[in-house]
Amino acid sequence: MSQQAVPSQPEALSPPAKEAAGRTRYRLLHHVAIPWLFILPILLIHIFVVTIPAITGIYYSMTDWSGIGAANFIGLENFRKLFFEDQAFGRALSNNIVWMVFFLTVPFILALMAASLLARIRRGGMIYRTILFIPYLLPSVVTATIWRNLMNPRLGVGAQLAKVGIPGLDIAWLGRSDTALLSIAFADNWHYWGFLMVLFLTAMQSIPMELYDAAKIDGANRWQEFRYVTLPGIRPVVLFMLMMTAIWSFLVFEYIWILTQGGPAGASEVLGTLVYKNAFNRFEAGYGAAQGVTISLFAGCIILMFIFLRRRGWEI
Amino acid sequence: MTTNRYLVALIVLLLLSTSVAAAQDKPTVSVWFNAGSTPSCTAPLIVDGFNSSSDVAQVEIVEQPNQWDVTRTAVTGGGGPDIVISPGPSFVFEMAAAGLVLPLNDYAAELGWNDTFVDWALSLGEVDGTLYSLPHELETLILYYNKTLFEANGWEPPTTMAELVTLAEEIAAAGIDPFAHGNADWRPANEWFVGEFFNHIAGPEAVYEALTGQRPWTDEVFAESIDVLNQMQENGWFSGGLELYFTTDEPARMAALGSGEAAMNIEGTWRFSNIDTYFGEEAGNDNEWDWVPVPSATGDAIFTIGIGSTWSINAASPHPDAAAAFLTYFFSPQVQALLLAECGQAPAPVNLEADAMEGVDPRIAGAFEAFAESSNEGNYGYTTWTFWPPKSDVYIYEEIERVWDGQITTVEYLEGLNAVFAEELAAGEIPPIPERE
Repeated sequence: MSQQAVPSQPEALSPPAKEAAGRTRYRLLHHVAIPWLFILPILLIHIFVVTIPAITGIYYSMTDWSGIGAANFIGLENFRKLFFEDQAFGRALSNNIVWMVFFLTVPFILALMAASLLARIRRGGMIYRTILFIPYLLPSVVTATIWRNLMNPRLGVGAQLAKVGIPGLDIAWLGRSDTALLSIAFADNWHYWGFLMVLFLTAMQSIPMELYDAAKIDGANRWQEFRYVTLPGIRPVVLFMLMMTAIWSFLVFEYIWILTQGGPAGASEVLGTLVYKNAFNRFEAGYGAAQGVTISLFAGCIILMFIFLRRRGWEI
Repeated sequence: MTTNRYLVALIVLLLLSTSVAAAQDKPTVSVWFNAGSTPSCTAPLIVDGFNSSSDVAQVEIVEQPNQWDVTRTAVTGGGGPDIVISPGPSFVFEMAAAGLVLPLNDYAAELGWNDTFVDWALSLGEVDGTLYSLPHELETLILYYNKTLFEANGWEPPTTMAELVTLAEEIAAAGIDPFAHGNADWRPANEWFVGEFFNHIAGPEAVYEALTGQRPWTDEVFAESIDVLNQMQENGWFSGGLELYFTTDEPARMAALGSGEAAMNIEGTWRFSNIDTYFGEEAGNDNEWDWVPVPSATGDAIFTIGIGSTWSINAASPHPDAAAAFLTYFFSPQVQALLLAECGQAPAPVNLEADAMEGVDPRIAGAFEAFAESSNEGNYGYTTWTFWPPKSDVYIYEEIERVWDGQITTVEYLEGLNAVFAEELAAGEIPPIPERE
């Protein structure tokens, strides 16, 4: 029996080759096929619910679609109008930026302060956490309605204080161009910062106590502990939430819609309310889609910025 | 005895199954109402009345939040209810152009709708000469006033715009808000005032000419209308000032009118459905309300025509004939009179019979009679949400706030309106405008 006969029978593999082929099959099955099978349902849902509508939205942003019937392709005309003609878009964008600056500062400062204080409470801490977290669980329509009543110039808190001799707060917070946007941000923040606080608190509790002990031995005061131990310890969570809050700032809609619908005189108009009005009130769904795509681009820029920082070594 | 019982039971079962089968044979016509905006007794009256009297169909009414947005999305996707209800004639334009609603001319001739509706009404539902929708909820705006307050102060309801301004000064001097106006819960309320001041100061002829492209919106008659309105806001006559106007909602302003903290209110006839809750025993005061036509520059009683909704048949409806049968029932003068009397539901512009107003509050009956009489004489104007195309309509109520807030001038406002309107006029998107006699 000659050895040359072996290649003519490839199926007759040597035991090591059989073993290697078996390992390959095993790897394919367990490391490729089965994981894909597990994510297949959610992948299909994502394709139909996110990917296809997103691509459709990009297409409609380049049409004159009214929201009903046929859509005619008009290229980049909607984007030209958006960036070079539409003053309302510019005003709304500047309001979104004000909103973003507010939400990247006020709730973060409040949440960090509250979390660092609560982290030290050993007894009854859960009660405080629950109380501060409850507003986040309330539906936005409930929170907004409560604050609309509280800020009412004739019946709200300011009016009641004025009755007992404390004037100055009985103004129409939501009816003035200079206060409307920040008043809505205040109401939204009331519901939001408790959520941030819980996230930060959870992150703080994972910081080893030895680090604080070491800092104390080194003579660190409370501020230095916070600055050099706590903040570095929770930095990934803080940075992630900064990124998410910046993205959400471009998507804000419901509080503004419920409280002022973008008024008075456009003072609280943001991109979200503008998109809604164009798509559903003005019958300019194609133009609204262009605005929606632009909002997504802004959000994409924020994500890119954080990816860039991560590559530079930031822990995010 | 037992056999007889079984026999009776069998007969009853047979009868029941026959009637159930018969009911199942009848197609069900689906209708979507806007949740919360229709008087609560309207839907049960329609459903019970139609289902017990019709041999050809049944009706099912579903209340939907944001009904128009939901309907438009569903109909565009090839679904939706059999009856498509839109907020006004201008909204049907796009649906008709896309073939999403059925032409109704044949049904109108066959089922007698041409005789059911008043002369000008069906023309509102036409797109390029074809009928696509039937108008419902005939509305107009009037000047409500606190009658008890007026009598106590010796004030007379005004008939001219000059009298209105003088009276408002007098009321403000007495420490009372002249007008119970506010838009906190409905920002488009701004357009009520812009529309009324256009029609009652510039006049309906000028508005007609502008709507048909014969006169620009920058004409000085319109500038004067906006200036008068703006002056009233600057005077703080609307609920005590612009900031309060922006934060006053319907319950607050109507309560102010009822209690006498405010004296007058320019608002639609839709307010008839709940105005009694703000006056008299129910509201905890002894006051009475009444109304007069919105004062005009000439003193003529002018009523602006408004249509609260339009009803069409979905092109995707599997049983359009049944839907048409339901429309015939719903728009019959008897049913419209019943809904007005029982629910305070504003009627469609149909030829109501002489006794239709029996049992209706005489003030309400008087308003509809005066409206009908005035429009028959050609003394009618045009509400913005019925006769202006969508982009111009939104511009009117959004941008007027910037005039009031001092961000733009009247001239800039009207130039903007003129530009938006010209675009829509060129695109042929203007709803049918009833010609003036």
